[in-house]
Amino acid sequence: MTRLRMLLAALLPLVLALLALPAAWPAAAADNLIVGAIYVGSVNDYGYNRSMHDGLMAMKAAIPGVTVLEAENVPESAEAERVMEGMIQQGAKLIFATSFGHQQFAFNLAQKHPDVDFEHAGGWMQAANFGNFFGATQAAWYPMGVAAGKMTKTNTLGFVAGVPIGYVIGNINAFALGARSVNPKVEVRVVATGSWSDKAKEAAATGALIDQGADVIAMHVDSPATVIQVAESRGVYSIGFQSLEARALAPKGWITGLGFTWGPFMTATAKSVIDGAFKPAMVREGLGEGMIAIAPFGPAVPEETQALVTAAADKVGKGFNPFTGPITDNTGVVRIKDGEAWGGDKMGNFDWYVEGVIGKAK
Amino acid sequence: MSAAFPIALASAAILSGTSLLYATLGELIGERAGIVNLGLEGLMLIGASTGFAGAAVTANPYLGVAAAALAGVAANGLFSYVVITRHANQLAAGLSLTFFGLGASALIGRPFVGAIVPGLPHLGAFDLLVWLAAPLAIVLSGLLYRTRWGLTLRAVGESPAAAFAAGRRPDRVQYEALAVAGALGGISGAHLSLAVALTWDEGMTAGRGFIAIALVIFAGWNPLWAVIGALVFGGAESLQLQFQARGVDVSPFLMNMVPYLLTLLVLTFSGLRGRSAAPAGLGRSFFGVE
Amino acid sequence: MPREAALARFGPAASAARRALIVAVAASAIFALLLLIDGKDPVRAYRDTIVYVFANAYGFSELFVRMSPLLLTSVAVALPSRLGLINVGGEGQLYMGGLFATAGALGFAHWPALALIPLMTALGFLGGALWALLPGLLRAAKLVNETISTLLLNYIAPLIVSYVIFGPWRSSESASYPESPAFAAGARLPTLGSTRVHLGLVYGLVCLCIYGFAIGRTRWGLEMRAIGGNAEASLRLGVPVSAYIIGSMAVAGGVAGLAGMAEASAIQGRLVAQLSPGYGFMGFLVAWLAGGSAVGILTMAALFAVLSSVGDVLQITQGVPFSVINLLMAAILFIVLGERGAGGRR
Repeated sequence: MTRLRMLLAALLPLVLALLALPAAWPAAAADNLIVGAIYVGSVNDYGYNRSMHDGLMAMKAAIPGVTVLEAENVPESAEAERVMEGMIQQGAKLIFATSFGHQQFAFNLAQKHPDVDFEHAGGWMQAANFGNFFGATQAAWYPMGVAAGKMTKTNTLGFVAGVPIGYVIGNINAFALGARSVNPKVEVRVVATGSWSDKAKEAAATGALIDQGADVIAMHVDSPATVIQVAESRGVYSIGFQSLEARALAPKGWITGLGFTWGPFMTATAKSVIDGAFKPAMVREGLGEGMIAIAPFGPAVPEETQALVTAAADKVGKGFNPFTGPITDNTGVVRIKDGEAWGGDKMGNFDWYVEGVIGKAK
Repeated sequence: MSAAFPIALASAAILSGTSLLYATLGELIGERAGIVNLGLEGLMLIGASTGFAGAAVTANPYLGVAAAALAGVAANGLFSYVVITRHANQLAAGLSLTFFGLGASALIGRPFVGAIVPGLPHLGAFDLLVWLAAPLAIVLSGLLYRTRWGLTLRAVGESPAAAFAAGRRPDRVQYEALAVAGALGGISGAHLSLAVALTWDEGMTAGRGFIAIALVIFAGWNPLWAVIGALVFGGAESLQLQFQARGVDVSPFLMNMVPYLLTLLVLTFSGLRGRSAAPAGLGRSFFGVE
Repeated sequence: MPREAALARFGPAASAARRALIVAVAASAIFALLLLIDGKDPVRAYRDTIVYVFANAYGFSELFVRMSPLLLTSVAVALPSRLGLINVGGEGQLYMGGLFATAGALGFAHWPALALIPLMTALGFLGGALWALLPGLLRAAKLVNETISTLLLNYIAPLIVSYVIFGPWRSSESASYPESPAFAAGARLPTLGSTRVHLGLVYGLVCLCIYGFAIGRTRWGLEMRAIGGNAEASLRLGVPVSAYIIGSMAVAGGVAGLAGMAEASAIQGRLVAQLSPGYGFMGFLVAWLAGGSAVGILTMAALFAVLSSVGDVLQITQGVPFSVINLLMAAILFIVLGERGAGGRR
């Protein structure tokens, strides 16, 4: 009998808790929009997370009264769902889930909370309250290739890739196409670390590329800080990616770089949520639409090269697609036939490198 | 310009093996005194963030390394107190130290994420810590096998009770050993942040502390073998990156498994020959008089 | 590390309650201190925590989500510890369980849940068991100490998982992101209502009950304790020591494997590289704090779950970085470690 009573006593809090409504957690005043954002790393990383944070801050400055809840270093695991749920319970009505691996967890919550809108960066899932956005980075890498192709003296470019997913391979391909458009002798060497953020490996990868004769290093990892600084310390050029601020890391060897400018998109999205007019979409915008910008040139870049790069960027901004056939992969197989072109919907599908890239994509 | 492959590989292995070697030597000294420290990862993180912060504040990377060494000693002091004076379970205390290091390093390093600091300057091909690593192993080997302190330390590691009966103070020797281990663990982390990556980021050691623990076993608790081991372990990582840069496709994951499988094989064979290199009193806690 | 490795021998269960109390009090005090240092209001944080964790269906349900793997990984440590064996390989065993279960989920995706879930459960157990069998064999043959071998195998298992999700099992749906294809609905463990509380909790509780019963009420438990006390004497008395060593390691690994199966099936819905944020190691701490008692494990796993929830609350409401919770956890552990050690030898 006593045992039964003990059991009931143990169950009581459970029952009470289940009865308590989720709204029991104090939420802020409901008239102003609360926006939640989760980042996979630190926002001071000179990279991807910094660009997202800067976007949120631009949104906050543009819309008076908006509150921003942020969480850094949120892993791509079950934890992500808890943090976002916590933000929702704090009253967030719009969530930016900014890392690729946050997608499934954000999507789970989107189905659970139809009244909350979600924007995920870089994925493919969609629902009535779940949109997906990212920069159309691939085409934007083309002018970066032009810059690298003009600056290299060894005709060897190095690329440090984090997780070699289709979009990253597309960036590398466009980079190689751009470089070879101005310097057909160029080859691009790729080293993948297998992680978006493993500083020691990124340093070793950069070193390995320089050992192989690369004198321009580009990268696609969360934070370009390590790669750029290692390149600078070994006296080679670098091309940045993710945040425009990265040029501070390489006063001598900086060529140029791509940075995300999420502010306008985030502001527009927040306004649409306030107006009750949120429309999820598969947004992929690039240089032309202002979601990606080109960083200022470094001191070593001649005016002539600057002009070439700017011209290539203008061309891309006006709709030039570098992935217009015929395009051959690095084993000699024609992958995009003459007259065909790969559009934005196929950028995740790359599992091959274009001619001139050394490495295997699979 | 392209460096010959063996040279490139060797220098890459040395660079990534250096931080492993410092950590391994520290752990080895502690284990020789009979204390396993599973918190090496935490120590390295504290070293990495304190070293980076120190270099950022003083604009001098060497002072950063010194700060990292001190922080390592302090953090390991906490561990020492719990396992030596309070006789706590070493494995549990070590895991706790790992958690401690994760949290403490994040707090210390937070204001310095994204800071630009002067890295350790190169003296010739490498920085100072690289040049000092192998000689340090020789010095430690000399200390262990040729000095009275080393003799006492090894005796304590084999049997604290016997050492106590012989008139030694096991706890003091163990405190000293763990202070050395803490300093080396801190330096190991500082080499990562100040010489290799030139940045600080939460959790940036990415499991290297645990690799160093495996390395101690691989090295058979011998400082000189630790040098070889660090090159093998560091080389396994560099080799696949160097291979990729040359367009050769190898699975990084299979490659990274090799050192662990090798360690397990070495252990099995030394077990077959009826020999174990592990200090007999490893992991045991000693209570003065029994 | 010979027999005396029984250093990891766990203390009597009776003091588990006292330790739980110390943990709770110390946690609250250090928590407040940390917040005060950071210039935050501890009273508000306490209120937020209590409201979030205990008066909120979601926060409360997440306690059980966190507890589920911990229950399993701590049983995986506690069982061999009865023999004086130290299994620090829960992490690797968990990953192998996830790997084997995924093989079932992908290979028999069209099976109905009623058949597929038991299959995956069996495979998850098998994967973990095989991964712990090797250290058991090496130990029984007196070749390699099980602490060292289980530790080493922890590194290899996640690398195998990474190998398959970057290679043969890589999903094609997600821009070739390194993860396995999503599991079919029939391969997902059932959950309770709209929460994430899943059948893995039941697995954990059942394993814990069986463990408690086997240790306290069966001949096995008696003989295991005898071996833990004096292996040579037990051998002379006719107790099959080697069989116990091999068997207990395999069963322990299997139990940890179940945690991997449940994480992949219920939480992730696919095999991923980051299957566990250290559940294997946390399980070691839980089992150790609990002194190996079944009730203690339940209590300590619950406390660990509450502590992690505090981290969430701090991060979301107070803007304190999540990693600070590690500091809090470590501080508490050190206090308990110091307190326990001083209590004398066992």
